[in-house]
Amino acid sequence: MMNMAWKEMKRNKGRFLILGSIVFLVSFLTFMISGLANGLSEDNAGLIKDLPEGHFYMTKEANKTYNLSRIDNNTQNDIFAKNSNTFALSIQMGFLNNHDGKQQSVAFVTSTQSKWFQHVKKGEVIFDRSVEDNGIKIGDTLTNKQSGGKLVVKGFVHHSKYSHVPVAYINMDDYKEMFRTSDMQLMYIPGEDKAPTFTGLQAFSKDQFLNTIASYKAEQMSLNMIIWFLIVISGMLFAIFFYMMNVQKMGLYGILKAIGVKTSSLFRMMWTQMAVITVIALILSIALSEVFNHMAPKGVPFQFTFEITFQLSVVFLIIGFIGSTLSGLQIKKVQPLQAIQQGEM
Amino acid sequence: MSIFTIDEVRKTFTNGEVKEEILKGVNLSLQEGEVTALTGASGSGKSTLLTIAAGLQSASDGQVIFEGENLTAMKPEHVRKIRAGKFGFVFQFAHLVTFLTVEEQLLLMLDVSGSKLNKQERKREIDKMLKLVEMDHRKTAYPTSLSGGEKQRVAIARAIIHQPKILFADEPTASLDSKRSKDVMALIRDLTRKLNIAALVVTHDEEMLSFADKIIKMSDGQIVQKI
Repeated sequence: MMNMAWKEMKRNKGRFLILGSIVFLVSFLTFMISGLANGLSEDNAGLIKDLPEGHFYMTKEANKTYNLSRIDNNTQNDIFAKNSNTFALSIQMGFLNNHDGKQQSVAFVTSTQSKWFQHVKKGEVIFDRSVEDNGIKIGDTLTNKQSGGKLVVKGFVHHSKYSHVPVAYINMDDYKEMFRTSDMQLMYIPGEDKAPTFTGLQAFSKDQFLNTIASYKAEQMSLNMIIWFLIVISGMLFAIFFYMMNVQKMGLYGILKAIGVKTSSLFRMMWTQMAVITVIALILSIALSEVFNHMAPKGVPFQFTFEITFQLSVVFLIIGFIGSTLSGLQIKKVQPLQAIQQGEM
Repeated sequence: MSIFTIDEVRKTFTNGEVKEEILKGVNLSLQEGEVTALTGASGSGKSTLLTIAAGLQSASDGQVIFEGENLTAMKPEHVRKIRAGKFGFVFQFAHLVTFLTVEEQLLLMLDVSGSKLNKQERKREIDKMLKLVEMDHRKTAYPTSLSGGEKQRVAIARAIIHQPKILFADEPTASLDSKRSKDVMALIRDLTRKLNIAALVVTHDEEMLSFADKIIKMSDGQIVQKI
């Protein structure tokens, strides 16, 4: 059938433009919040998120709170013996002072040999690059007031943050001195489909582990709730808009049915309009979000990823399809006879 | 030659426990190249008969035979295909698609009927048809800019562009003034003859009967006179 959907949109630009702008605004807001959620999650737990799929272990007594977990050397050695890729790690929040006495909050991270974490010699530290904004440079010496020890800045890495503060990779000996413990909090076994069990230890997948971090869970849950709420709103928008359009067009549908137009063609017409509006609105909001991604102020943790954007776009299309189809169910009920007996549309 | 036969058609509506017989065993046949006018007082059953004949509603009893097949026994999809390809419709109001131009209205009908004509042939056919209904000068106009009479001319062109076998017209002049009504009826009569179509026209306007080859008068669900 000729492109009725397109012709109607061309002829009634105003009303379709209104729907398109609302869908654009809702999808743009959704992408912005999704970018923010993603940025915040990187800011909060980039250190963990950037690891490959695998399993974390902490002691059962820690009751899902990793910084209460203490895995002693014997247990660590048992696990190392059985799994070659494994490493142990600890994360502790703290701060370092520069030569002016100014404090820099950091997340101290140390681990046994692993290719995913930075390793330094005793007395050295590698930071997340964000500390450069506070004037810290390679070669600077920072003091740890807890232990009185000094750390020399050896380098910087990108995207290594934990709990919204930069990570400071330190040597295990420095860590033991600072926090007066030789135990490690966590063990990590990458790439295992099914977590092997170890006595006294509890296994967590990466996602499960991220959800044990209270701030991470609360932050992501609230933002995801907003995202889904916006998606539902967009679905309702389509349903209400097409319902109103269809009510106005009942007579037309009846006449078209009378002259032999298939009901499925009328549905296709509505779906085409929904798809055209959604795709144009999505392209515009993706483009604008990408612009914001490059222009966002440094302090805004905004991260726009193709994967999430693509997933959300598909969800928008599915929701638009469901919304318009639900409202279009009236088309099925239209009787040609009623339309003929009605007056002019 | 009879192309379309209505045989003992009855229609009964049930409202609660009350049964009302709208059509009480109606028989008629349509000939190619002829306009058959169906007339009668309001409520006589003429519009119901037309809609049953056109496959827009079912009969309670009886047969509607078109090209040797009984429409009342067919599946809805089969009836739809016949409506799209072999029937043409003109209603009291033009009921044109508001967002299509005059020529697009005809193009839509060619699409719906499954016409095998190519783009060029379609264009030629549309131009020819618009010339026939004297609307070729308004082919890019939208319905909102047409007068009542012009709309009805376009509706007639839409109804016959796909060369149907039967043209059903339900009160095609009811919304027009006397002069325009005569023009429209004359057009239906001329096209019916020229294109060798069988036309069934429902009208309550006695003046319009002069354009019919056959007149069938209905009263109380029955045919009371055939002229």
